[in-house]
Amino acid sequence: MFETPMISRRRLLGSAAALGAGSLGLSGCAGTLTRPAPGNVVTFINTNATWTPGFDAVSTVLDRLVGYVLQSRPVSDTSQFQQMVRMSARTDTSADLIKWWTGYRLVDVARDGMLADVTSVWDEAEKRGWINDPQLKETFSYQGRQYGMPLYKTYYVFFYSKKAFRDADVEVPTSWDELMEVCEALKAAGITPIASSGATSWESCIWFGQLVAGTDHDFYDQLCRGEASYLDQPALDAMELWSELYQRGFFSAPDIESEAMPGLFNSGEVGMHLYGTWNTGSFVGAGLTDDDFGAFLVPPVPGGEPEVIVESSPLSISAGAHKSEAAMEIERAWLHPEVQKEWVGFLQDLSANPAVLPPAAAARDVAAEVERIEPRQSIRYWEASPPVLVEGNVEDLSAFMTDPTPANARATLTKLQKRSEVEWEAWRLG
Amino acid sequence: MSTELSTAEPTTRSGSDDQPSQRGGRRSAGLAAFGFLALPAGLVIVLLIVPFLVTAGDSFFSDNGLTRSFVGFANYLALLSDSGFGHALLNTVFWVIGTLVLPVLLGLIFAVLFNSVSWGVVARWAVTLPYALSGSATALLWTFLLNSDGAINQALAAIGLSGLQQEWLLHWPMNTITMIVVAAWQGTGAALILFLIGLQAIPAETIEAGKLDGAGGVRMFTQIIVPQLRPMAVVVIGISIVNSLKTFDIVWLLTRGGPGTQSETLALTMYRETFTLNRYGYGAAVSVVLTIIVVAASWLYLRRQVGHGKES
Repeated sequence: MFETPMISRRRLLGSAAALGAGSLGLSGCAGTLTRPAPGNVVTFINTNATWTPGFDAVSTVLDRLVGYVLQSRPVSDTSQFQQMVRMSARTDTSADLIKWWTGYRLVDVARDGMLADVTSVWDEAEKRGWINDPQLKETFSYQGRQYGMPLYKTYYVFFYSKKAFRDADVEVPTSWDELMEVCEALKAAGITPIASSGATSWESCIWFGQLVAGTDHDFYDQLCRGEASYLDQPALDAMELWSELYQRGFFSAPDIESEAMPGLFNSGEVGMHLYGTWNTGSFVGAGLTDDDFGAFLVPPVPGGEPEVIVESSPLSISAGAHKSEAAMEIERAWLHPEVQKEWVGFLQDLSANPAVLPPAAAARDVAAEVERIEPRQSIRYWEASPPVLVEGNVEDLSAFMTDPTPANARATLTKLQKRSEVEWEAWRLG
Repeated sequence: MSTELSTAEPTTRSGSDDQPSQRGGRRSAGLAAFGFLALPAGLVIVLLIVPFLVTAGDSFFSDNGLTRSFVGFANYLALLSDSGFGHALLNTVFWVIGTLVLPVLLGLIFAVLFNSVSWGVVARWAVTLPYALSGSATALLWTFLLNSDGAINQALAAIGLSGLQQEWLLHWPMNTITMIVVAAWQGTGAALILFLIGLQAIPAETIEAGKLDGAGGVRMFTQIIVPQLRPMAVVVIGISIVNSLKTFDIVWLLTRGGPGTQSETLALTMYRETFTLNRYGYGAAVSVVLTIIVVAASWLYLRRQVGHGKES
C-alpha cells in the first residue's frame, strides 16, 4: 500500500503563497505591454472591436507596402479606453498607435505630451496628393503641428429609408421647406419622420451642432472657441427651431436606439436619421442594399447656408511608443490609395483621401453631393470645445430632448453658458 | 473512560519550572495567532486601506491623468458648491429609502406568506429567480420593457390604456422611482432568502406557545415572528443600506445617470467625474465623501442595533 502523504496546513499555505508569487513573477515576465510587440507587429489601441477584421485586412496591404502589420487592441467602453491610454502614458506600457479624437480632445492630450508629432507625415501626404483639406488639418493640429492622420472622414447626413419614402410617396428634399413637407407626409402616413436618439448619450449634440452651425456657421465657430455666448441670437434661433420640430411631432422619442435603425428602415417605420456616414456599415452589415437606404445632405436651415458637420478620428502615435519608427511608417502609408481602398471597403465610410470611395452608394452619393454643393464644413460639437465643457453641455442637451419646450430651450442655453464660463477659464488655466 | 480521565492524578510541577514554559506557550500561541491574522489583515491593508489612503491623497490634487498639481481642499469646496452633487445625494437618499421600503419589507412579507402555504416553494422560486440574473441582463430586459416604444407602453396601448403610457426613464423623479422598483424586483429575492432562514430558525415551541396564548394572524406576526427575526433583519437592513448607498450598475445601465445628470447617484457622480471627465482629483473627493457616508451609516446602524441586542 502506498502511504498517502500528509499535507500540513503550513505547507499548504506555503505552497499557495509560492504559487501566487510564482504566478505574479511569471505574469511579469510574460507581460508584453512593457515590451515591444514581436517581429513586424505594431500595437494599436482603439475603441472599435468590430473593426478588427478591417484592420487585419489593411495589415495585408501595409505589410506589402511598408513591412509592418497592425495588432488591434480594442477597448469598447470609451471611458475605460481613456483610462487605459492616459494611465499607460504615465508608464512604459503604451500601445504604439492610438485612435483618438480631433479638435480640443486632441489638444487636451497633445499639450501634455501624450502624442507624437506627425507633421512631416501630413506634409508628405499633401505633396503626394493624398489629402488636401485645410479644415480637417486644423482639427488635427496643436500649435500648428499635426498629431495624427485621419482614419476616415465622416459627414453627418440624413440617412433615409427608401421603403418609408415610397410608402409616403415623397422624394429626397433639396430645401428646408421640402424637408418639412416630407416630414409632414411621413407623419401623415404613420411613419416616424426623424429618428433622433440622445436622451442618455452623446448623440444629443448632433442636432444641436447641425442647427447652430446651419443657422450661422461663423457663430458656431466662435461659440465653440469660447468667443460667443450660448445666449446669443443664433443659438436661441437654433434651439427654437429644434423645439419647433419637436412640437410639430417630427422626432421620435429620444430614447430610441441608433442601433435599431437598419431594422426600422427595413420595415419603413422610420423615415430619416441624421447620423455620421460611418453608420453606412451598419446598414450594409444588416443586409440592407442600395435599394433600401440612401443618404443626402441636410438642406440649409431658413436663413442659413449649406452646412455639413464633419467628424474624423486621428490615427496617432503614442509619445511613449515602443516602436515609434514602425508606427511612423504606418502613418506614412495610411492615406496610400491601396491602403484606403481596402480600409473604406471594409468601413463603408469616406476616406480623407478624396480619390478613394467606398462601395456603398449612400456614402458615394454624399461625397458627390459635397463636391457639387461645397457646403461649409464644421467640426462636430463633441470635439469642437474643451472636453469637460462638451460632456456637461451634452448632458444638458440630452435633458432638453426629454422636455423640448421653448421655455426649456432658453433654460438649457442658460445652463450651457454658465458652464461655458467656468470651463473655459479652467481650460485656459490648464 | 471519561471518569478515569477526569479523575486522573493531576501532574504537579513547581512554579519556577512552570512559568517560563507557560510564557513560551503563550508566546508561541501569540505567534501562531499573528500568523493566521497576518494574511487576512495584510490583504485588507493592501486591498482596502492603502487604496483608500491613496484615493484620499489624490483628492487633494488637480489631475487629468497626464499632469497633476496640488490644490489642497479645492476639490472638496467645489463639491460643496456643485448643485449636481446635491442632486446626486438626494437621489442616493431616495435609493436608501426605496430599498428599505421595497425589497426589505416585501422580502419579509413574502417570507412569512410563503413559509406557511403549500404553494410557497413555487412562489419562492418566482421571487428569487430574478436575484440569480446578472445586473446587465436585468438592465437589458428592463430597457426593452421601459423604453418609450418598449413593451410596457405597447402593452398599455394594446389594451386601450394609452393614457397610462409614460416615458418611464426620461423624467425625474419618475426615472429614479422606476429604477428603484426594478432594483426591488431583482433584490427582493435576497431578502426573502435571508428572512426564510431566520423564520426556520424560530423554535417551534415559541410559535406554539404564542398560539396557546391566543396569538394569531397579525398579532403573531408583529409580536412573535418579527421580534424573533430581529437578528436577521439587522443583517438584511444593514446590507440594504450599504448596497443602496453604493447604487451604480442598474442606473448606469438603464439611464447612465441621465437625462442630464438627473438620475445620478453619488457612485455615478464619482464614476463620471473620474472616468468620463478625467477629473481624477475631483472624482477622488467624491469617492472619499461616499466612503465616509457608507462607513458612518454602517457604523451608526450596527452600533445601535448590536448595542441594543446586547442590552436586551
